[in-house]
Amino acid sequence: MNFRNIFIAILFAFLSLGSAIAKDVKITVWAGGTNEADYYRMEAIKMAADILTREMAIQGEEINITVEGKRDFGGWGEFKQAVTLAAEDGSAPNIVVTSHLDIAPWSQAGYIVPVEDYLDMDAWPLNDIYDNLMEIAAYNGIQYGLPQDAESRPFFFWKEYLKGIGYSDSDIDALPSKVASGDYTLANVLEDAKKAVSMGLVEEGYGFYPRVSNGPDYAQFYQSFGGELMDSASGKLLLDKASMQEFYQFFADAVAAGVTKKNHIGTDWGQWYNEVANGKAAFWHGGTWHYARYTGKEGNDDFFGTIQFTLIPAGNDRGRANTITHPLVYLVTNQNDDDLQDIASQLVKIASEPRINSLHAIESAHLGISKQQSNVGLYANDQWAAEATEVLLGSANAQPNHLQYGVFSEAMWAGLESVWTGSKSAADAVNDLESELSSKLGDDLIVR
Amino acid sequence: MNRINWFGFIFISPVLIMVLLFFLTPVVMTGFFSFTNMSTSTGIKGGEYLINQETIKEIKKYNIQKDTIEKLQNAGYLIDDEGLKIVSKKYKESLSNEIKSFYLGEKFLKRKDLERALKKLKKNKIKKTRDRKEIAEIFKESIINERFDSKSIFEENLIKLEINENDRAIIIEESYTGWTWTNNNFKLIYNLPSSYKFAFYTLIYVSFTLTFNVIFGLFLAISTFYLPSKTASTFRTIWFLPRILPPVLYVLMWKWFTWDTGFISQMSTYFGAAPKNWMMDSPLHAWTVIVLINGFVGASFGMILFSSAIKAIPSSMLYASEVDGANRWQQIWNIIIPQLRWPIMFTTAYQTLSLLTSFEYILLATNGGPGRSTEVWALAAYHTALQNYAGNLQYGLGATYALVLVIIGIIASLFYLKFFNFKDLVIKPRIEG
Repeated sequence: MNFRNIFIAILFAFLSLGSAIAKDVKITVWAGGTNEADYYRMEAIKMAADILTREMAIQGEEINITVEGKRDFGGWGEFKQAVTLAAEDGSAPNIVVTSHLDIAPWSQAGYIVPVEDYLDMDAWPLNDIYDNLMEIAAYNGIQYGLPQDAESRPFFFWKEYLKGIGYSDSDIDALPSKVASGDYTLANVLEDAKKAVSMGLVEEGYGFYPRVSNGPDYAQFYQSFGGELMDSASGKLLLDKASMQEFYQFFADAVAAGVTKKNHIGTDWGQWYNEVANGKAAFWHGGTWHYARYTGKEGNDDFFGTIQFTLIPAGNDRGRANTITHPLVYLVTNQNDDDLQDIASQLVKIASEPRINSLHAIESAHLGISKQQSNVGLYANDQWAAEATEVLLGSANAQPNHLQYGVFSEAMWAGLESVWTGSKSAADAVNDLESELSSKLGDDLIVR
Repeated sequence: MNRINWFGFIFISPVLIMVLLFFLTPVVMTGFFSFTNMSTSTGIKGGEYLINQETIKEIKKYNIQKDTIEKLQNAGYLIDDEGLKIVSKKYKESLSNEIKSFYLGEKFLKRKDLERALKKLKKNKIKKTRDRKEIAEIFKESIINERFDSKSIFEENLIKLEINENDRAIIIEESYTGWTWTNNNFKLIYNLPSSYKFAFYTLIYVSFTLTFNVIFGLFLAISTFYLPSKTASTFRTIWFLPRILPPVLYVLMWKWFTWDTGFISQMSTYFGAAPKNWMMDSPLHAWTVIVLINGFVGASFGMILFSSAIKAIPSSMLYASEVDGANRWQQIWNIIIPQLRWPIMFTTAYQTLSLLTSFEYILLATNGGPGRSTEVWALAAYHTALQNYAGNLQYGLGATYALVLVIIGIIASLFYLKFFNFKDLVIKPRIEG
């Protein structure tokens, strides 16, 4: 053996030792619908990677995890296209943060793997997550994902205008409970909005200033009038014609009364945020995360002094005051590599620790996912998180994880649009909706 | 001679490749997709075999033996000798023995239950969650929630469960997660009331925009013809701007112009009128704006074609008419327009085809609103196939919408070819003839 061979042997030994010392793993995270304030969706995974690396090192496994996050997608549509195309191509990110509604189609298509295949669901911190949120991240009885955050979608009132139409401070304070008990309904909203407009407090069209595009928010109004999205016994989607018609009619009435703009849909989001955060509108509805936007970018320094929030009021006797929570979930994608999927699952588990999740919750004004977060100082001391959790989360429900829910939701929105803009009557729109949904969903739909 | 033929092919090859890549392939793919039920949930590349709660619901609708469902549902996890042997081989014998002493013969409906049971082991604690899950899987009897790549392995597993052949066929069909061939999309489009509306809107869109294009293009061409040539070319350049502006920017400017915070509203408030969204106020407003947006883009195309055609008219004819005392109007009506017959027809034909499939300006401007009253056929295809707030994109149905356009387009072009008699249009070379 000459020196050269010895040298090569040593080099080989060294290299193989090197690879044994630290196994490099790259984890990519894509987060949809993620604004500047939501950066902890990716940051939490980085923190989790640090903890996991240390844990594994103690167990004698050297691993080096690099986490890469991406959140700049044009919108939800572009994000979903990007994920599905990447998954078809075999280059999907390891972890995606997305709407829980994607679980049904993506699990069916085999793009994602169940986290329950890798995690002990009875152990900390998963056993502390709210059951209803865990259920939202499951489909067909399988736990596919973990809730990433919680939110809900309240109704907002500009306090000054409530006072302007004759509310006292104590009336305003009592509003959330009056809404919850059903004593203050959408009919009252319309009445008060009319007053605000006719008294000149707000401009015409700014009495009730709703969301400008389709979203889970509108299913809330369907529920306000007694509608249910899914028949729990059969698991089929449900079209309650009477409720749907009353829900459509409410928006038609709002337009007719001059409190809502006929061409409100499609208003620029930036303009919308700025107007509602600074008192241009009397009543509106939005999401718990709006708090961050109103008090941050839009410069409302006195949120609690200017804005009251409640559940979405009931519309009639059959309906209830409600709010929809539309949690985002962490999903682990199919990489055909058990080790990678295992690591990704461990990371989302660690990122769900109360302390780490609270960072996201408070920074982005979302709600927590687990009970113990009320014992984390950061979370407990935040007025918004505490109050919103108390007023809203108890009455929150979610949209169903159903393969055809997307079709249902789009058609419901198309019907609302046509009534809102006056191109159809509510009755006609509901009849058209029925024939549209019956043809498209067939056996997946119950009409009541 | 042969060499020359080959040269021809080489010269034409870039065009052939372009046609193949950007026209033929999409058309063939559209045709192919439209006969499938492809959606996000079926994936594009193909599927696997999977029985879950949904599948069982579907299977129940068929006339199958009662015990088939039971066999599928109740087969959970069974601690048997066969599994224990594998455990002792793969892990430790003592572990296998402890499981045996605790649970031999026991059945667990869910994996979670078995995992919980395995946690109770005392001497041979399984530390890793993943190992515990793997050991649980060894005892699996059920095939629920398991994905099978191949049909034959899936069928073998069904045979193991003693499911009869008839039921097996049904289960296999229902549990396939990928797309399948179907002509349901065509039936659906035929039955949906909204399809007829989209068709009607498309008709409105194409006919009005086309009319505007041709008339305005003609007006521009003729009016600039009578201007001094320098002024004329300046005007033509200005009118060419809508076409060369990026669509997003061009539509954004229209929004600044028409929305309730925009120019028209700002101006009208000086006269005491309330600000109003001139683009989205009513379907009539939306249609007017859409026809104008598209019309100005299209008009420049007509303007260029007509202008050059007018220049080709022998100037002697125009001088002669002036000597005869014809005024401008008579010149236009009796000399220019008759000679523009072919360019006008060509523009009409060409623009019909391109308008049928174009929706980008509508998408950017009204996105089909207000109340879906500007949802043209091509936009509906886009919305169905590529936009859904809640996840499940319907590629198959969207492709069917698109295929209908392709078919209409092909029929229309054949008709135009015949109608224009293209052979006559292409004059035979005089030198060789």
